[in-house]
Amino acid sequence: MKPAPFSYIRVATVEEAANALSEYTDAKLLAGGQSLIPLMNYRLSKPTVLIDLCGIEAFASVSLKDDVFTIRAGITHQSLHEHPLVRAYAPVLAECAGEVGHWAIRNRGTLGGSLAHADPASELPAAMVALDARFVLTSVRGERTVTARDFYLGLFTTDLAEDEILTRIHFFASSANRIHFAEIARRPGDFALSGAFVRVEESATEITWFGVSDMPYHLTLDALPVEEKARQALFTSLASTLEPLDQTVYRRKLAAVVAERAYLKGRRVQA
Amino acid sequence: MSDALHHLQKNALKPKYTGARVTRKEDARLLTGASRYLDDIEIPGMYEIAFVRSQRSAARICAIHLDAAQATPGVKRILTAKECPCFFGSAEDVANGVVQPALARDVVRYVGEPIVAIIAETRYAAEDAVERVQIDYEPLQPVLAMRESLLDQPRRVHEKTPNRMFHSEYQTSGFEDAFQAAPHHLVEVFQTHRQTGVPLETRGLAATIDPGSGRLTIYATHQSPHGLRGDMAVALGIEENELRVIVPEVGGAFGIKAHAYPEYLVVAYAALKYKLPVKWISDRTECLLTDVHARDDIHEVEVAFEGNGRILAIRDHLRADAGAYSAFPFCGAIGETVLASRVLTGPYTIPHLATTIDCTYSNKTPLGAYRGVWGPIASFVQEGIVDRVARALHLDPVEVRRVNMIPDELFPYTNAAGQAYDRGSYRASLEKALEMLNYDELRAQQKTLRDHGKYIGIGISAFVEPTAMAQSEAGSVPYESATIRIEPNGSVTAAFGLGPSGQGHETTMAQLIADELGVDLKDIVVLHGDTDSAPFGGGTGGSRSGPIGGGAALKAGRAMKEKLQTLASHLLEAAKEDVQLEDGKAFVAGVPTRNFSIRELAQVAYTDVLRLPEDFPVGLEVVARYQPKRPVTFSNGTHIAVVEVDAQTGMIEVLDYVVVNDCGRLINPLIVEGQIQGGVAQGLGSAYLEELRYDDQGQVTTTTLADYLLPVATEVPRMRIAHLETPSSGEGGFKGMGEGSLIASPAAFANAVSDALEPFAFMVSALPVTPDQILAAIDRSRDSMA
Repeated sequence: MKPAPFSYIRVATVEEAANALSEYTDAKLLAGGQSLIPLMNYRLSKPTVLIDLCGIEAFASVSLKDDVFTIRAGITHQSLHEHPLVRAYAPVLAECAGEVGHWAIRNRGTLGGSLAHADPASELPAAMVALDARFVLTSVRGERTVTARDFYLGLFTTDLAEDEILTRIHFFASSANRIHFAEIARRPGDFALSGAFVRVEESATEITWFGVSDMPYHLTLDALPVEEKARQALFTSLASTLEPLDQTVYRRKLAAVVAERAYLKGRRVQA
Repeated sequence: MSDALHHLQKNALKPKYTGARVTRKEDARLLTGASRYLDDIEIPGMYEIAFVRSQRSAARICAIHLDAAQATPGVKRILTAKECPCFFGSAEDVANGVVQPALARDVVRYVGEPIVAIIAETRYAAEDAVERVQIDYEPLQPVLAMRESLLDQPRRVHEKTPNRMFHSEYQTSGFEDAFQAAPHHLVEVFQTHRQTGVPLETRGLAATIDPGSGRLTIYATHQSPHGLRGDMAVALGIEENELRVIVPEVGGAFGIKAHAYPEYLVVAYAALKYKLPVKWISDRTECLLTDVHARDDIHEVEVAFEGNGRILAIRDHLRADAGAYSAFPFCGAIGETVLASRVLTGPYTIPHLATTIDCTYSNKTPLGAYRGVWGPIASFVQEGIVDRVARALHLDPVEVRRVNMIPDELFPYTNAAGQAYDRGSYRASLEKALEMLNYDELRAQQKTLRDHGKYIGIGISAFVEPTAMAQSEAGSVPYESATIRIEPNGSVTAAFGLGPSGQGHETTMAQLIADELGVDLKDIVVLHGDTDSAPFGGGTGGSRSGPIGGGAALKAGRAMKEKLQTLASHLLEAAKEDVQLEDGKAFVAGVPTRNFSIRELAQVAYTDVLRLPEDFPVGLEVVARYQPKRPVTFSNGTHIAVVEVDAQTGMIEVLDYVVVNDCGRLINPLIVEGQIQGGVAQGLGSAYLEELRYDDQGQVTTTTLADYLLPVATEVPRMRIAHLETPSSGEGGFKGMGEGSLIASPAAFANAVSDALEPFAFMVSALPVTPDQILAAIDRSRDSMA
């Protein structure tokens, strides 16, 4: 369980990182390393160069201006979980960040790392899809912005080009209103067997599921039935179309349960 | 204050260590990270080994291509079966004409079996080379299912040997008549799936030739230093005195480290043959793949019982999957089944028993010892039977236990398999646990909650725990040894042949000796783990260290006390029987001012030797051995788990957990409770989480701790523990207790889930029971009701 040989570069700015990334083939960005390092130790990932982003100054900031959140990608899950602005204006994001792994993992793992890694069972990519966030991708070619909903393409697969770095995340604070979250995992801190972000408005509903497909699964509906049985039947019927990677029957069942639980949480909070 | 009162109070405060909540001497170093484990051993110029392991469960090896590996920078040597012709053969395998080569020769028989050993300057370089070894296989059909294997289907694992590697039958006289005559019968198949101990510190070995003596020195993380020395010497073809085994701090062992493994032979052989210091430390994937597996058993059970819940007879066909070889030197499949068959009736007066045992080879990892060995399986079956009888008769599970529990007046009691139980607190432990739980009230609450869609379950597990056996995974050494030396400055050094891995022997053995010698605990050093300094012993395993090692400590302590009394009586010119030892002094009873300190006595014994009495040997050293008269010492107790099952998700939450434990006289309740907490945690894993899964090609699919789920701190319940003390007839009155908590707890957790799901007519019959299984069972029940 030792990685294959690799070179290591520590950069001080995003520009340096972008330059290094375009210079070397088979390079990988190292942020918190909570997924990459185990993959390297299993030799499932064998980058020849590791570009360490941890030395980039102010790569972990959060700001809120005119309803727009800007979060730089280097923020750790624990910082996101504890950040006063996030807690106050995007509480669902703070809450789900606290469900990522255990404290030690949250202290190192970063938002950008999690979003780019695109594990289908992780909370943060789904949260960004639910929030309709924009990702800023930086390379020597410049910057481009892509929506979270377009960013995810499949299992561990994203729109991120080989030479691009996910550097900033934007979303509207107001879009975080009325989104509620629930998940089920075997043990606290495990990847979710199934999780859901549910946003309930007067006339429309949005559900973003994770853990039950190869990537966050987002859909928009009309208003949900208020009557419990009808609503659960709707969730069950929607979940029956999901294609989980394993334990199909069980995960579909859980998908309906977490959607209902997230919905009920919202109703309690909004009541 | 009157003198009398003062004297009384002084006596009340007299340090009496045995039975006291003494904090562990080991804790400071363990908790501050100052302990030195195997991987902390640094020998200058030491090489590391990495293994190329079989990726097939069954195949012929056609060719091994080593050129690219050989050319890898840092590689020193590469070994295959040709270069390293060693093997281990357990008694069971040898009887079947089978031995396990250190490195697979011609055929591979399980995924993870070592084939090639790469010796390199670093583990990194060794693993680089491992990647470059190419092996050509000709696949064979894997043998994976016990029932088929028994019929030699689809083929034999070892060409010349039938797959059935062990068979036995047993029946009480009059069984058939008693079974047939019973008014009620039920059948069930119980199954436990593969698990393993997963010690925090993985296993491994380092070996070097001691340049001074030319002897081979082995550093091992192991439970039986002397046992390993003997086994390695035989396998390497050297004499035991040419081999020194040193066991540094061991970070958990759980039976897994009672075994010797093929990798150990390769490491030691390489050191011996090439005169290289070498080391191999298992990584976590190797741990899950190749540490001995355990608990791969099927019990097909038939039960005969009366209308009041009295159980008359149990018939059980026990099967276990031994894996490709018997683990060395202890075959887990035989251990799990044979020993389970002897305690299958648990704490109950079930008069009739018939057992058939079949153990079979397969293309899986060898099955070996994991804490509790047969006990968790036997308890799961036995307590599962009791709950099924209760459900069949609509009786409270407690009532069925009361009807069947061995009454106090029947002790010493011989069970249907011929096992002689010690006197215990069988009924008392059950009643005490029920009282701690407020059982009747909880049952009433359970009913109310069910009406609100909340499913609470109460799982009872009354257990017997065979301990301190003459034979166990710690070998066939039915005694333990202790040496005590009082040093010239009066401090005490004791040495044992035990192999602790966190049990706190440095504290408990010191407690016993301190009380015998009347010295302070801090003045005692307990040594273990070096065959050059420790007296020969069996090591740690099978819950033997407390009762047998503790007995040796008491005997040695008494022998030393006698020496000190003899010496002091001579110097004090007092009768020997009037000399008392207390507070580090020997004094004349009633005249504490007439005294010699132990330090002064030691000075006389070592330096001022002209003052010694005639015939008193110079120095202060004793060795004592203790062999219990009983072949087994039985502990007992009751566990009760209270859980809530979420009927929407199948997830289980433990709400409460009570333990009443009786391990005879307590040496240190704090350490006993630590053992219980750890065992219950492992029981939670056994019942709900842990499973080594194989696919249909014999690949282990749970090779990381993301797939093999261990209980973590967030799930292990706070437990309430009470002690009862029914002393054994052995030295000190101690009984073993290292495994009872893991023997009892899986059954308690399983029964709690069964109880919670009574409205859905579900009972747990396979462990671990998982949320998806629970939800599927609830659905089946709802469908059938609809």
